[in-house]
Amino acid sequence: MERLKRDFNTISLAMIPVAIAINIAIGQIVYALKIPLYLDSVGTVFVGAVAGPWVGALTGLLSNLVWGLSGLNPAYTPYAPVAAIIGLLAGFFSQWGWFKVWWKAILAGVITGLAAALLSAPITAYVYGGITGAGTDLITAVFRNFGLGIVPSAFAQGVSSDPLDKAISFFIVWLIIQGLPARFLDRFSRAEDVR
Amino acid sequence: MSTPFSLFIPRDSGMHRLHPLTKLTLVGFCLVGGLFFPGIWLTYIAFLVIILPLAAWGRILRPFLSAVIKTTLPFAVSLVLVQGLFWPGGTPVLELGPLSFKEEGLIFAARGTGRILMIVSSFLLLTFTTRADELMLTLSQKGVPDNIAYIMLTTLQIVPRFQSKANTILDAQRSRGLETEGNLLTRARALLPLIQPLLLGSIVDIEERAIALEVRAFGRRGSKTTLLVLHDTTWQRVMRWLLVLATLAVLAWRIYLWLEPRIQG
Repeated sequence: MERLKRDFNTISLAMIPVAIAINIAIGQIVYALKIPLYLDSVGTVFVGAVAGPWVGALTGLLSNLVWGLSGLNPAYTPYAPVAAIIGLLAGFFSQWGWFKVWWKAILAGVITGLAAALLSAPITAYVYGGITGAGTDLITAVFRNFGLGIVPSAFAQGVSSDPLDKAISFFIVWLIIQGLPARFLDRFSRAEDVR
Repeated sequence: MSTPFSLFIPRDSGMHRLHPLTKLTLVGFCLVGGLFFPGIWLTYIAFLVIILPLAAWGRILRPFLSAVIKTTLPFAVSLVLVQGLFWPGGTPVLELGPLSFKEEGLIFAARGTGRILMIVSSFLLLTFTTRADELMLTLSQKGVPDNIAYIMLTTLQIVPRFQSKANTILDAQRSRGLETEGNLLTRARALLPLIQPLLLGSIVDIEERAIALEVRAFGRRGSKTTLLVLHDTTWQRVMRWLLVLATLAVLAWRIYLWLEPRIQG
């Protein structure tokens, strides 16, 4: 409980808006470079890693609400729980020391991506009728053609992109943490988990 | 102050003068309606009869409609194509080359599009006619912690700065010879030189921001006085309660429809 109060200190408060802005900025860079990824949760994962699971979850949740309120992508808002889970898992993996080693960070990303795909499938199915309006709907079409239900097809579509996307995001966060000066890292509440 | 990053279009209209809580309650009703209205056409009717007139009242009809269409169209197209053409075991009703549109798929697509239309348009209606700081104040008054409101407002203010910073970095790196076009590998290699300066710059930003907050006693407990004043009227309060009742009615109706065959059996 003490740790939780420490997690929500002033620097976490200052960090969350920046993390959300980074989510958006990196997402747009990736889009501009026409790379077939999203990479729109790097900020969330970073916050989860250095400030704990709950601050990470909050960052993910608010990030989605900002996507909606700003008009960037109002259709993305129902996925707020998924974004929260990504931040939450990043925090837990950090707590278990997975951000200390590069390949563990990548593995944590893969697992988080699978969890994200699992959680977003029912949301895609119920709110959006099983599609996302993106090119990956082709995958959904293929699975539907095989007779798969709406939720499993949506899950198949998620699995085709989320684990890779999150693995790369987690790796980027690992890289950043390696490059941070110790003086700065120590201001975060979970610094001991990532050093 | 730089313009916040939002959809808000300032207009002198009754819709804009409504208390944010009223608009939020409306969005809540539309969300529940969008998700739980039985049948296919109720969502479209609600859109035409409730949301469009409100948008017209708010004098934002044209930008509102173009935003709604821009957001909903990709989903509608995907729905019709993916679920319409590939509904397993469906009855074909229209031929399209080697494929055929299935009746069940098209019905599903119609219902799905109506649902998305309700959800997206109600949310857009809120954001087009409500100032972000008034919205945050309402939430704070209803018990959302001050910190959350601060985070949302700050984010909306700094995102444009980050976007222009990202563009500056893109130009700077390009002028130093960074290849941003070509095959996938070339473009992927451009990613790290673009992200790294952005992240390092924002790290400094975080520290300065934290110090600025602490200097202004942001973490101090106790209620804060606000400069902003929200106006509420009796009839809005009445409308809000009616909307809450309507929302519960929709839920109850849906539950009843779900229970009915089970009770009979």
